Formats: sequence, C-alpha cells, structure tokens
Amino acid sequence: MPLDVILPALGMAQESGVIVAWHKHPGEAVAEGDILFEVETDKATVEVEAQGAGFLTGVSAKAGDEVPVGQVIARISASAEGAAAEPEAEAEGPPADEGTQAEAPALPEGREVIMPTLGMAQDSGLLVGWLVAPGAHVGPEDPLFEVETDKSTVEVPAGAEGYLAALLAEPGEEVPTGQVIAILTAEAPAETLQRSAAGAAAPARKEEAERPTPPAVPELLEETPKAAPAPAAEGRILASPKARRLALEAGLDLNRLVAEGLPQPYHARDVERLKALPTEPAAAPAPEAAATGLHLTAEVAEEGFTAFTDWAAREAGLTDPKALLAALAGPCLGRGAALVRLEQFNRTLYFTTDPVSLGAVAPAEEAAPDLILRDLRDSAITGLRLGPEAAPVLSLLSKGAGLSLTLEAAPGQMSPQAALRLLTDFAGRLSQPLRALL
Amino acid sequence: MREITLSQAVNEALAEEMRRDETVFIIGEDVAEAGTPFKVLSGLVEEFGTERVIDTPIAEPGFMGMAVGAAMTGARPVVDLMFGDFIFLVMDQLCNQAAKTHYMSGGKLNVPLVLRTNLGATRRSAAQHSQSLHALVAHIPGLKVAMPSSALEAKGLMKTAIRDDNPVVIFEDKLMYQEKAPVPEEEELLIPFGQAKVKREGRDVTLIGTSSMVQVCEAAAELLAGEGISAEVIDPRTIVPLDEAALLASARKTSRVIVVDEGHQSYGVTAEIAARINEKAFYHLDAPVLRLGAMDVPVPFSPALEDITVPTPERVAEKARLLVAGEMIHAA
Repeated sequence: MPLDVILPALGMAQESGVIVAWHKHPGEAVAEGDILFEVETDKATVEVEAQGAGFLTGVSAKAGDEVPVGQVIARISASAEGAAAEPEAEAEGPPADEGTQAEAPALPEGREVIMPTLGMAQDSGLLVGWLVAPGAHVGPEDPLFEVETDKSTVEVPAGAEGYLAALLAEPGEEVPTGQVIAILTAEAPAETLQRSAAGAAAPARKEEAERPTPPAVPELLEETPKAAPAPAAEGRILASPKARRLALEAGLDLNRLVAEGLPQPYHARDVERLKALPTEPAAAPAPEAAATGLHLTAEVAEEGFTAFTDWAAREAGLTDPKALLAALAGPCLGRGAALVRLEQFNRTLYFTTDPVSLGAVAPAEEAAPDLILRDLRDSAITGLRLGPEAAPVLSLLSKGAGLSLTLEAAPGQMSPQAALRLLTDFAGRLSQPLRALL
Repeated sequence: MREITLSQAVNEALAEEMRRDETVFIIGEDVAEAGTPFKVLSGLVEEFGTERVIDTPIAEPGFMGMAVGAAMTGARPVVDLMFGDFIFLVMDQLCNQAAKTHYMSGGKLNVPLVLRTNLGATRRSAAQHSQSLHALVAHIPGLKVAMPSSALEAKGLMKTAIRDDNPVVIFEDKLMYQEKAPVPEEEELLIPFGQAKVKREGRDVTLIGTSSMVQVCEAAAELLAGEGISAEVIDPRTIVPLDEAALLASARKTSRVIVVDEGHQSYGVTAEIAARINEKAFYHLDAPVLRLGAMDVPVPFSPALEDITVPTPERVAEKARLLVAGEMIHAA
C-alpha cells in the first residue's frame, strides 16, 4: 500500500510551507529515515524524513512551491513504476475511506481536496462558492473555491492539476476543517458527483478531533471510601466533622447510632436519625449506673421530725405534718418554688413549697412535680430500689429510732452532685428540723 | 445582549484601554501583523501602530525584561506570551523582578504590567504547548493571577488588570478563544479582583472551578441535576487574590466540596483551595474535600491519551456522586 508523503505541520501557527529542494528523484528508492525534501517555514528550514521504505512516486510539488500543510505531495510506493502507473496504483482508493464509501454513492478516485485550516483557532469554514464548474479542468494554482472564516474570505487554489469530478459540499455550508469537499481526477470524468457535506458520511477529520467522551478510565486519583459499612469500630466512632458538631450541639451521643446497628461512618443525615430516636432506650437492660440513673441512700440515726411537728403546730399554727414534710423537702432541690408530690400509701397530695419560708407551703393542683416524696415510715419495708420516675423520688423508711432515706433519679434528671446535696440536705433537716428555720 | 467570542472580548478590552490611556502598549511575538497565532490581537496594530503594538524577536526573557523596565518608568505594558508554557523563560523577570520591585524599593517603584498568556490541553499541541502553569506564578507573592472563564470575564478582568498598579498574570484557555458569551456593549466593564461568582446555586455539593473548568463544573452540575443532586458552581475568577469568604460560605452551605482545575493536581491550585476549606470550614464538612486536576504526567500528544488527563464533566459528576452517596447509602 503506498504511503502518502504530506507537507508536515512544523509550527503551531503554520499554514503552509515552501519546498526548498527534493533530495530524492521520482522513482528513486528510499529507506525509512532518508531525507526526502527540505521545507522552509516562517521560522526555520527543516529536512523531512521518509516515514517508510519504497520508491518515491507521484511527486506533485516542485522546489519553490508553497504547499498547504497536510497536502499530499508525493507517495512512497512498492515499485518504481508506481510513478508511471499512478492512476492504476490508486485504483484501490484511499484506504481510510473504504468504510464510508461502501454506503455512499461511489466517489471518483483521485486527489482529495479538504476544507483547509486557515487560522489557528478555526474549526470550520463556510463554503462561499465553487469557482470552477463541475467536470472542468484546473491547474494547481487555479482558485477552486472560496471560503469564509470569522476573519476573512479566502480563495483556495486547487493545489494540484485535475478535473473537478466530485463536489462534496454546497455553497453556504459550514464544513469542518479537514473534511474532504472535492475530488480531482486525472482523467476527465464521464459524470460528476454533487452533494452536500451534511448529507455525506464524511471522512473523519484527520487532526483536530473534538473532545470525545473518553472511555471509562481506571480511577487514577484518590478513591473516596465507598461507604464501606465498617462494623462499629472499637474505640473511636467514624463520623464526619459536621456530624460530630451537630451531635454535640444537640447533646446527642453518636454511640446510640452504633447501638442501633447503623453502619459507619456517620454523616449529618445520620444525626437526624439520632434525633428521631426515642429519648430513652426502650428497655435498657444495661447494668451501667449511668443507664439506670442515680440511687443513693442515707440514714438518720434519730429523727427530729415528730417532735418538730408538735412544736410547729403549737408555736406556728402549722398543723398539717404532711405539708410540713413537703415544705422541708422542696427547698432541698436548691431552686426556687417547687411542686412536691407526696405519696402516702394510696393517698397522693401536691404542695407548692417556698425556698425560704416553711409556712408558705400550700396545697396545689395535680401537675408534673419537681420532686416526689414517698412516705413509707409506717410500712415494714426496710429497703427499696424501684427505679426512676418522671421526677427524682425521695423515699422515707423507718429504721429504729431514725430514718432510712433513698433518692432515685433517672439519667439526666439531676447531676450526681445535685443528688448528693439534696439527700444530705434533707437528711440534715429531718435530723434537726429547726435548722431549716435559721 | 450581543454575544462575542473570548478572543474578541480580549481584543476589545485592549483597544478600549489603549484608547483611554496612551501609556498602555502591547509587546510580544507575532502580536502586530500576525495578531498572534490565535488572531486575538487582529486589527490593533492598524489602529495603534507599531509603536504601541510591538513585534519582538523570539526572545521571551528579553522582551519581558524590557516590559518590566518600561513599567517601572511609567508605561503600562501588556506582554503577550504566545504559550503559557513559555512562562518558564520569563520566570526571573516576572518572579524576581516584577513581583518584588514594589516591595524591595520600599514602595517607590510600581510595576503596572500585565502578562497575557494561555493554558489548556486537548488541543493536540503536545507536552510543551499544552500546560496549565498558573499555580507556579500564584505561588509567588506580589503577583496577581486572573483566570477568565468566559468572554465576559476575559474582558472585565483584562481591563481591571491593565489599571492595576501591580503585575498581573492573565491565563486565557486557548480552547475558548472562539467561544461566545453575552458581553454588554454600552457600559464600561470592570470586574474587581478577588470576587468570586456563583454561577449556579445548589444544595448538596459545591463545585469550584477555574477557567474552562467552570464550564466543566456547570456541565457536571447539569448531569447531577438529572439525578436529584443539587450542585453549586463557583468561579473564583482570580486565584490571587482569592475570594476565600465566598468559597467558605458555599462549603458551609453544602458541606461537600470538589475543586476542579486544569493544572497538574499535585501541589496545585486544587490543593491550595482544598486546604483552606479544611482549615476554615472543617466542622461544617460532611465529607472530605476532593480535588480534580490534570493528571501528573506530561500532556500526551496522542488525542486518546490527552483526553483522559484532564477533568471532564463525567469525572466531576462521578466524584460528586461518591461524596453525596456517603450519606445516601446509609439512608437507604
């Protein structure tokens, strides 16, 4: 198969080159790498090597000719006779076009004329018109057609001698550079072919391919972990910075997502799931103290409350020992007025208590209490662990001449410090109630 | 509004500034009759003459040095560097002289110089004419770096650059010269440096792109929108100065960020922006900040190979899906 010798693009901005001299004669044998010819561009004079071995044939440009880049100026054929028998040698047709010619009407065989690249940034040219009639004979310098680019309108010479046998674009059409728009044949054609460039299955452009969608390539850059549902790692929980911040701001524990069996790492969306979880784990059999809440006990060796009730009734007119008990307990919460629920067997009473004045205690309507007071002094019970309720629970049991006190609170209801203070305070008051008055 | 090519936009900006200020001149290879290989400067030598549109020999260090001197002594040169790859040739004039003169002269000298050059691969121009080297100059204190993403930015940033009293390097994407965009004709178009532009509002992920990568990000956002992922696209417009506040605000809003730039990924612009977001928006991030730059190889001449070295909308979208899926897998 003969090898085309083209005028190479030697510079970025080069449109054509001048053949300075041929170093091989037509028909002469050439080896790959032999200097074929010298070409001068606006920057330099360069020797061009043969790209393959064979015989130089079909030389169509002579020394001194200015030739557009990409134009075929000779061939390297299998035999020296290729020169004389050029039309026959070309009978097999340009190899690249076989596929497209199969379905299109047969194109005449001859020299292809392409839409030239006239500017650096040009992708296509507007065919203004043909300057030669179909079938007419042209010389290499004869203007063949006119092209309009965004910069100018240019008459393009035929570049070679021949008959205009095929016109593959119509005036007014925008044709990509490199696309074949005409064919010049050596012999006068019996009939000429005319069609639009759009309708033709055009041969692919040689150099300037548009950015194609590249094939899927192996990921070359760092791989994002594909949310590998790592089993809840021992130790540090895997969570995004944002998820950690949101959980912290909401006072939520990411450990609960681990307990729920959600795969790590956790993101902001998982914190939304965390918020939606019930505030208390449904049935937490966890034996940890933190999960079950606080359970404190205290003992008062000798209770002073009974004597105090007598004194209060006599001296202050406070005749209700139940109200008095609530009035001593409420202020131990360490806050302002409190609602205390007093439970005595089947009776439940509510009192509001004042942090300063015992006498300000008053019966109240049923509501969510701040403190539950369970008075079991008259029972035989000696110890209990009933679990937390909606509010901290203080239980009173008799123990000899004194009392046994138990404080139970759910996680989060009160801090351990507050619980210790409450129970210590209350035990002290029951031991020496008069202290509450001082 | 009329639409013009990026090439025309640059031409207009230069012509307007040269008419406004007679100290502005252009110097470089093939800038006069040739109007540059990309024909960006066509027509300017006809209007302003060869005194103000100066063709030079192929000697980048020479004409860059002349321009720095001219800038120190009252002119406002616009140096035309035919290919961004040639910036290696002018590094001393640019980085040791132009960038430091104001500082080292105690403010007595200014270098109001613009270096116009280009970047961008996939033009089949091989390894020495396809590089995107803006990160190299962005690294040097004293240089401002503008990266227009359309004709509008190309004009507005060029005019601002010429009026700046300090050296500015503008990188145009050589593949965008023929791309058109609406550019207002009437009013004076000046785009301030250090002001990012939100090109598209989004909720789930922020795509930060520079130069033509802004268009890649916009195309990726379009792909993602079809899948229910809302992507925000931001164009910093200048990487020095960098509108950090705008980038951080978007990072805080979407919690996920991909930075896309056509320079080599390692030690590049993507690394710098990702690091700043990590430092200043860490507790708002729901996923690691991802980078997508050009592959760390010389740009191949083979079209098939060249095309896989640069970020594409498909590859950006793929990254974005991974980021968002970090949450969506768990929710399923």
